[in-house]
Amino acid sequence: MRSYAVQRAGLAVVQLAVLSVLVFVLTSLLPGDAAEMRFTETLTPSQVAALRAELGLDQPPAERFVHWLGNVLTGDLGTSLISGGPVADIVRDSIGATLVLTLTTLAVVVPLAVALGIVMGTRENGGLDRAITSVTLALSAIPDFVIAVVLVAVFALKLGWLPATWVGGDLLASPALLILPVGVLLGRTVCLLSRQVRAGTVAALNAEYVTQARRLGVPRRQLLLRHVLPNAAVPGVQELARTGDTLLGGVLVVEAIFAIPGFATALVDGVETRDVPTVQGLTLVLAVAALLINLGADLVCNRLVPRTEALR
Amino acid sequence: MSVLRGAAGWVAVALCVVPLAVAVLGPFLPYDARAGLPYSSEGLLGTDGLGRDVLGLLLVGGRTALGMAFGAVVMAYLVGGLVGLTAASTRHRWLDEAMMRPLDVLLPLPSLLVISVVAVGWQASAPAITVAVAMVNVPTVARLVRAAALDAASGPVVEALRMQRESWFTIQLGYVGRSVLGPVAADLGTRITLAVFLVASVNFLGLGLSPTAPDWAVSVSRNREGLLLQPWSVLAPALLLVSFTLGFNLLADRLVHRSRRLVGSPA
Repeated sequence: MRSYAVQRAGLAVVQLAVLSVLVFVLTSLLPGDAAEMRFTETLTPSQVAALRAELGLDQPPAERFVHWLGNVLTGDLGTSLISGGPVADIVRDSIGATLVLTLTTLAVVVPLAVALGIVMGTRENGGLDRAITSVTLALSAIPDFVIAVVLVAVFALKLGWLPATWVGGDLLASPALLILPVGVLLGRTVCLLSRQVRAGTVAALNAEYVTQARRLGVPRRQLLLRHVLPNAAVPGVQELARTGDTLLGGVLVVEAIFAIPGFATALVDGVETRDVPTVQGLTLVLAVAALLINLGADLVCNRLVPRTEALR
Repeated sequence: MSVLRGAAGWVAVALCVVPLAVAVLGPFLPYDARAGLPYSSEGLLGTDGLGRDVLGLLLVGGRTALGMAFGAVVMAYLVGGLVGLTAASTRHRWLDEAMMRPLDVLLPLPSLLVISVVAVGWQASAPAITVAVAMVNVPTVARLVRAAALDAASGPVVEALRMQRESWFTIQLGYVGRSVLGPVAADLGTRITLAVFLVASVNFLGLGLSPTAPDWAVSVSRNREGLLLQPWSVLAPALLLVSFTLGFNLLADRLVHRSRRLVGSPA
């Protein structure tokens, strides 16, 4: 167990190192640098050159990378080209709303998906299983933004029950504001996750150790909770890590539609204004988060079912 | 094709074919799109926020909405499939490791991150976004193909073929490649849906095509304020997208069930 954790953490460190190079290379070697991007219309070539020197863009790439990485390691993510403030501030200001949104969604998704998955899995091919399966299959095929646009039109614009966009203030202080965004985010994640839990439950119920446990007279409740659930949870937890990807996509869309000033809004703004340092910083933070989530998921899976080999 | 058995199979096919037909044939139809006032009800489906004919936009907007996704999946399979096949069939363990390990590093990267980074440099460029979506898919495709090919590649048939001095290509593409087709077909269904999703999300967010493009996802994004004024400007492109992903999802689901039944493992 310990050696697996050490190995897996080692992989994460390597991933982190490669990732930082990748983020830097991808964002720095883009066609045209920041100085050109922003100011060609208003500045003369010599002024652009001066600006480039000021931003350190005239240094060779390797040198710039070392400089950038050194700064990142000390918590300095660079300076935004648009606001002129530190990127770390942008990260700090925008991360709150995204965390609230994501954590609220997860708090609803996980219990709901596990419950649905077990209900479906224990009634394999029964009427209820078929009904829920068809609904989740259909729901998971509808893009988030379509659900969002329709929900906003019906509940916010037509009926006027819920606010359509964020108007300022604390997200936590106004739960009504969270209902529609979280509702949109729920759709696909619950579907994807519950189907995995269902598949896991079915596989576990058909396994020989369950037949054996049944023969030994293990009560049904204990059978489900102690023997089936941990095995059924493995595909669920792995899917949850992958759901992070779906969820991030959903969060981007939801923040854009509801004008929530979160991480995703900052990222899209950064892309639109070609604010390379901001995109660099936000990408790095999000990618590190994704790595950690995957690391966590693999460790949890290994703990649940020690034979799982996430590492090849 | 037992995938098609029953009414549900044909419904799924119909759901896929309608948007596909619109996307492929639409640009060639002699439809006379006339401009009018924003969100008016002129024409069959009214006009959008810029006063353009909704039906006319629909006919040309499918090319990017579906074409970019298909292009990306084909590209991902060309690159990932080759990497996976080579990694599975090589007798040098270091080569396998050298090809697959770097992909493990890329695996947990959120796809929209990669795409936003690409979008900073190449704005409103359909080819760049297509390549980015393909890149995002390469690691998983390579893993899938490698895993599927591993059994066949290390089995007795390949050994026999080798002893008969068959060429690398005959063995790989003729035998190993063919045995991979089943899992690949099952994977294609979900992968294409996800690619359509990803391309649509990117375009919806304005990270991809320009905000005036006729693309279906861009249309949904651009006209969403006008949903109550001229519902078709949003609903028609949205319905085409949903119809395609739903139909493809259903087909993929049936395919997966069928291949499981054939293999005989508990579903």
